[in-house]
Amino acid sequence: MAMVLVIWEAAARSGLWSRLLFPSLGSVAYEFGRFVTNPESLHEAWVSLYRALGGFALAAIVGIFVGMLMGRSKLVAGLLDPLFSGTYAVPKLALFPIFIFVFGIGSLSKVALVFLECLYPIVIMSYHGARSVNRLLLWSAQNMGATRLETLCRVVIPATAPFVFAGFRVAVPVAMIVVVITEMVSSADGLGYLVVYSLSSLRTDRMLAVVVAIALLGYLLDKAVVLARDRLIYWEKLDTYYV
Amino acid sequence: MGLARAGFFLSLLALWQLLSLRGLPAYVLSPLEIARDFGEALGSAELYEHAAASLGRSLPGFAIGSFFGALLGLAAGMARWFDRLFSPAVFITYPVPKIVMLPIFMLWFGIGDLSKVLIIALACFYPVFINAYYGVKATPAILVWSALNMGAGHGTIFRRVVLPSAAPMIFAGMRVSLALSFIVMFAAEMINARSGLGHLIRVAENSLRFDLMYVSLLAVAVLGYAGDRLVRFAQRRLLAWQEQPA
Repeated sequence: MAMVLVIWEAAARSGLWSRLLFPSLGSVAYEFGRFVTNPESLHEAWVSLYRALGGFALAAIVGIFVGMLMGRSKLVAGLLDPLFSGTYAVPKLALFPIFIFVFGIGSLSKVALVFLECLYPIVIMSYHGARSVNRLLLWSAQNMGATRLETLCRVVIPATAPFVFAGFRVAVPVAMIVVVITEMVSSADGLGYLVVYSLSSLRTDRMLAVVVAIALLGYLLDKAVVLARDRLIYWEKLDTYYV
Repeated sequence: MGLARAGFFLSLLALWQLLSLRGLPAYVLSPLEIARDFGEALGSAELYEHAAASLGRSLPGFAIGSFFGALLGLAAGMARWFDRLFSPAVFITYPVPKIVMLPIFMLWFGIGDLSKVLIIALACFYPVFINAYYGVKATPAILVWSALNMGAGHGTIFRRVVLPSAAPMIFAGMRVSLALSFIVMFAAEMINARSGLGHLIRVAENSLRFDLMYVSLLAVAVLGYAGDRLVRFAQRRLLAWQEQPA
């Protein structure tokens, strides 16, 4: 890591390339400092964050419900599974121009697209989780006289939860990607817009500072999911980074 | 089940068609109109040109990204010093949306196709790398020990034990990155391009040609779906010994 940074700095200082192509790390750090102390740019970050989190939260609510329904009911799975697996590889981003017309050019179209893209991993993972609940546990619960609601709350949901978090883990970076792309394509606020704006004003150092901010945000959100997972699902350790 | 499924989808489409009879806003076309427009577009050369331009960006990007992802992922999974050197950088930058690098790539590699191919390759690298890495790590140690015991060299162990055991994971990563390559391709073309399906949908949007919008949407959906099928088909052929998950 350090090596890459040193090479970068050397390339920036060497003067072989224009400062517009390789701004020095110092100027990027300076711009980043200005970024985090400027309330206006923090507001842009907040706009991006609430779009990403809004779409993600909606997708989580709907996705867990639909996924678990698919996992516990053959009929629902038979109807919805081809829909999800068939359109899984289709870039939902292509719907964005239509969403602009339907939901307007403001936050709503972006939140809707984030929701749609995040829905897939969450539904698929909760579906797998709810389907692979240990049958022995279900039988034991029934045997001990648990009602359906009790079985759901005490057996199915805890057994599905690790899978749901694996889905969250995939969905959070997706939410960030979609927000940044949609803001780059058409927006007047948010971090994606700042990237495009600072590039068009030929401030590469400022652009890289925004890129660093986006990277940091993505990293922190991912860490937050892992932290929440470790607290909530204390009975199962996460042994690999990538589930 | 199959009948119920077909009935479900047909009734959804019929509902959509019926709603359009009652008058939908101009930006929502009915299924029949979309099918008709798509049929017409298939007869003209324009759609093929844009689709070819798009594929000319996404497929090389996917190939380069997957190749280096598999190569470096296998290396990081096997060689500990390389793992320590390289993997932290990959895992830290994994949740970062790679598309934000597009503007800086455009500065470095020009505004043409090269910057787009490279950004697609960068995005495709991550899922394949991570899957190859964990595929190697998940190789049962007992198989490696048995092979060593029977006198296999390092090359033989790699070819006959590690690679077959990591291959299913690598394919899973390639499936993810193929879908990703289409997303990034489309995004890059929407942001800046003079050809391709993403460019076509922007043109359609700006000139309020809703028919063209749905045509390019359907075209990219068909390409994404076909690509996914192709990867799964290749996996079935190449990894015949592996049990297929449903």
